[in-house]
Amino acid sequence: MEKVGIVGYYQVKLASDANYGRYEMIFEAVRGAIDHAGLKKKDITTVISATNDYYDGRTISNCFTVEVGGGYMADESKVEMDGAHAMLYGLMRILSGNHKLAVIWAGSMPSCFPYHSARLYETDPTWERPSALVTDISAGGFQMRAYMEKYGVSAEDIAKVVVKNKKNAAKNSLALPEAQMADITLSDVLNSEIFADPVTELMYAQPCDGVAALLLAPEHHALKITDKPVWITGVGWNQDPYYLGDRDLSRNKSMELAGKMAYDAASIKDPANEIDVAELSEAFAHEELIFAEALGLAEAGKASTLNSGIDGDIAINPSGGALGGNPPCATGLIRIIEAVKQLQGEANGYQVKNVKKAIASGQIGMCAQNNILYVLEGGGN
Amino acid sequence: MSEKIINITKGLVRAEFNFWVGLYMDKFYDGLEQKKIVANKCPKCGDVFVPPRKICGKCNETIALDQNWVNLTDTGTLTNYTITPYKINERGSRKVKKDQIIGMVQIDGSNTTIVYKLLKIEPAEIKTGMKVKIEWQEKTKGAPEDIKGFVKV
Repeated sequence: MEKVGIVGYYQVKLASDANYGRYEMIFEAVRGAIDHAGLKKKDITTVISATNDYYDGRTISNCFTVEVGGGYMADESKVEMDGAHAMLYGLMRILSGNHKLAVIWAGSMPSCFPYHSARLYETDPTWERPSALVTDISAGGFQMRAYMEKYGVSAEDIAKVVVKNKKNAAKNSLALPEAQMADITLSDVLNSEIFADPVTELMYAQPCDGVAALLLAPEHHALKITDKPVWITGVGWNQDPYYLGDRDLSRNKSMELAGKMAYDAASIKDPANEIDVAELSEAFAHEELIFAEALGLAEAGKASTLNSGIDGDIAINPSGGALGGNPPCATGLIRIIEAVKQLQGEANGYQVKNVKKAIASGQIGMCAQNNILYVLEGGGN
Repeated sequence: MSEKIINITKGLVRAEFNFWVGLYMDKFYDGLEQKKIVANKCPKCGDVFVPPRKICGKCNETIALDQNWVNLTDTGTLTNYTITPYKINERGSRKVKKDQIIGMVQIDGSNTTIVYKLLKIEPAEIKTGMKVKIEWQEKTKGAPEDIKGFVKV
């Protein structure tokens, strides 16, 4: 694969209610990424965004973000998934040989709409939707119970992920303020209110407002923009069946296959030893463990025994992950940006030492039905 | 304090959708109306689907409409459950006083699970792997809600 580099990024500070126009927020992110890289609007040759028509309250919602998203009179398109999927589309545009600079941006503002209702529209309208029993909430409960019962993992083991990520988020100035919990304890997590048993409120990555943007360029052009581009050395993506009842929720097969595809591309044979940082889009605490196992960082059922802190054997979500703030559509793109920061040595306050290889993932759907994984290297660290 | 202006816009047009359930689900709902579970079977891998479907995703094969039907009982195994205070509809979500107990049930003889409420049961009694059976609505109408939920056997 020809080398494609990440040459800039910007993330707005996450907020539960930004009280801030979404147009301005998108502009802040996109203009921020362009400014950060020392570029101008005229340098952009293609723009790919990720939002969701239901989250935006209008159809073909990218029609209203043309000006603020850098797409004014430019090559522009949208992905109705996560920003990590928009980046795949942008990567393909660059690899076509026709583009010098792709802007990828993604995000939404759940303070403006009933998030769980919008998620309900993912379900089968003639079968599951009328009863509203399959929801993003109940699905999380099913997934955690399936994982716990299959492997004998305890709620405490899963609560440890929350404690780690919320403490990490406290060191990340862009994380959701409500998720920055430097003093959180296991009992806080276990005794928080029931969300969908066995999931408690603190085990759930609360949706929040936020937008992020990232810039891609082909190798020769990337090196003109920055002396420390981060290279995409592998990408893989895959999806599980639609109905929850068709799946084994104790594992995530689509992430296993996405990981294999990305690792093959990046010639990674022993992920547990080769990868230094993993930024994974966990909609629930237990998903971080399921993903770590799917990606070969731990044996099945054993991810809770990993030393995955910032100074651990393999740092998982040193930024706080999605538990540190989960802006729908932006969450995966932010994981990629956080991996880039780690490779460039710019994760102020939560920098992992000596990072050479990082992975970052995005997801969509109930119980992470669809997953995408990137392997990133370079960054001059 | 900053001033906050919120505009709530309701849809000016009604753009509700008339979904066609399709011939397979039509047969399934006709079965429910008679308090029967009508499933179908992939001729290639042998998986039995509740509700029935036209295509086996794994095999990428059409399951012919005029054959492959299997009548199942209204009993099954509870494979998973959750208990949540949240109730969601198309307008919003709210917390309710009485938690909803929701189960995933594998109907005997099928390879899939379906999601319904668990009825007449206390949380402490629930165990995955327990046998359950359908509690039918007294008056059925050929719709998903003909199955009120599942009760322990």
